[in-house]
Amino acid sequence: MARGSSSQSTSSSTTRPGTAAPRGSAAATAGMRRRRLGASSSTAGGGGGNPVVGSGNASNMLRFYTDDSPGLKISPTVVLVMSLCFIGFVTTLHVLGKFYRYRSGSGSGSGA
Amino acid sequence: MGGGFRVLHLVRPFLSFLPEVQSADRKIPFREKVLYTVISLFIFLVCSQLPLYGIHSTTGADPFYWMRVILASNRGTVMELGITPIVTSGLVMQLLAGSKIIEVDNNVREDRALLNGAQKLLGILIAIGEAVAYVLSGMYGSVSQLGVGNAVLIIIQLWFAGIIVICLDELLQKGYGLGSGISLFIATNMCENIIWKAFSPTTINSGRGAEFEGAVIALFHLLITRTDKVRGLREAFYRQNLPNVTNLLATVLIFLIVIYLQGFRVVLPVRSKNARGQQGSYPIKLFYTSNMPIILQSALVSNVYFISQLLDRKYSGNFFVNLLGKWKESEYSGQSIPVGGLAYYITAPSSLADMVAHPFHAIFYIVFMLSACALFSKTWIEVSGSSARDVAKQLKEQQMVMPGHRESNLYKELNRYIPTAAAFGGVCIGLLTVLADLMGAIGSGTGILLAVTIIYQYFETFEKEKASEMGFFGL
Repeated sequence: MARGSSSQSTSSSTTRPGTAAPRGSAAATAGMRRRRLGASSSTAGGGGGNPVVGSGNASNMLRFYTDDSPGLKISPTVVLVMSLCFIGFVTTLHVLGKFYRYRSGSGSGSGA
Repeated sequence: MGGGFRVLHLVRPFLSFLPEVQSADRKIPFREKVLYTVISLFIFLVCSQLPLYGIHSTTGADPFYWMRVILASNRGTVMELGITPIVTSGLVMQLLAGSKIIEVDNNVREDRALLNGAQKLLGILIAIGEAVAYVLSGMYGSVSQLGVGNAVLIIIQLWFAGIIVICLDELLQKGYGLGSGISLFIATNMCENIIWKAFSPTTINSGRGAEFEGAVIALFHLLITRTDKVRGLREAFYRQNLPNVTNLLATVLIFLIVIYLQGFRVVLPVRSKNARGQQGSYPIKLFYTSNMPIILQSALVSNVYFISQLLDRKYSGNFFVNLLGKWKESEYSGQSIPVGGLAYYITAPSSLADMVAHPFHAIFYIVFMLSACALFSKTWIEVSGSSARDVAKQLKEQQMVMPGHRESNLYKELNRYIPTAAAFGGVCIGLLTVLADLMGAIGSGTGILLAVTIIYQYFETFEKEKASEMGFFGL
């Protein structure tokens, strides 16, 4: 995934996270840190900035869905709420299951 | 990109049905990122404790015992599949794309979208497939015992949990959280495991009266209850069947070594061609491929285990099946352990004494680990696009040169370091894994190494985030 981040003027502060320089990659991280250090010590200034060198994507596998693609758009809150609903659903199943088994007496325990 | 049939286009009709987290349209503040990360983590933790509804039993040998640690899954819970669907689909797609079986042009937006869609679709399909396989193979009791209704319910639960993991991972990666979901979940699972082994208050009756499972708690318990303090201490340090204090110390030691080695790097100075006076640096780390070699290596090993176990159960006694692996139930945990064949030789010796008793096993294991890690590491840089050629291309695109070298020499210069770093880094990772296994670190060497490298990456991310916030305010 060669991401040519050639317009690095203010890349660290204004880029949209979806397309930002790869975060997982350690090399890039180190590069960033160096850049910051360099920017603060020298008078090169944050504006010019040294280029974010290399997205040596060693742990590329651990980041799959970074780009936008058409699909069922959902907001992050929906994801979280959906997960919580799922947890609630399973818990309810457990409760109902217990209840049902209790009601149906000590007979066949393995009912649905 | 000449026409013709392209496999990727098969995905297109499904694209509009795949759930897709919106990209953030603003910069998410650091605090908010932490919040999202914590909530996702909370959901994951709850899911990995919540038992599946409708299962009959989870007793009996667990064929996936070896994979649990790296796949962040917990038996009998909603997170039974853990991150298996994502990791498997990701691996498959990366390998397909890397080996040019599927043609992907990374510069074309549509291609990237299709590849992502394909990965996600494959992940969802794998989740269904695995859920069905789990239920039909009778891991929760046979289908007739469960009833059809319950069986379907279990499949739905597992499948939905798979989708949730995919969504959470995407949520974190799209910039709402820190790092990637997968690594977060692996590390959490591992840390939970270690903490549990250290402080678990569960008592287990092992024939010499009740003993605490947690190493630290057991230490105090033994020191207080035993009249002979020295023997009590020795037992706390060396007991065999339960986690002991030595294991805990070994874990801590491995943590420290890995973190120390993470700092080793060669820094190549680079300079921008068109803007004078701008210095940059391209650090090549010793762990150039980070934890990828062990992820790949353990994926390989767990597949060998799985196939071997399956064959052993069906066709025990066949010569070739025995050659692949013979399995026996362990008397302590009830887990199947390999006792012969290839599967035995690629398993870590259980202790130093075992190593001395079976030197051939030990040597084979070490050679296997080291060469596999080095090989995978070298393969991975090619597959993932971080080989010397790719890096040289990237630097050239960014108009960077190395001072004192001609432009054409850039590749050669990088090629001096990168393959060596990859191979040697892989060997180091392998060696550390062996070391961790031999010292009996908690939760297998692979798991520890994964956890430490991930946590280290997280620290780097934190630092970067902080730096960028500071820079933001400083401007």
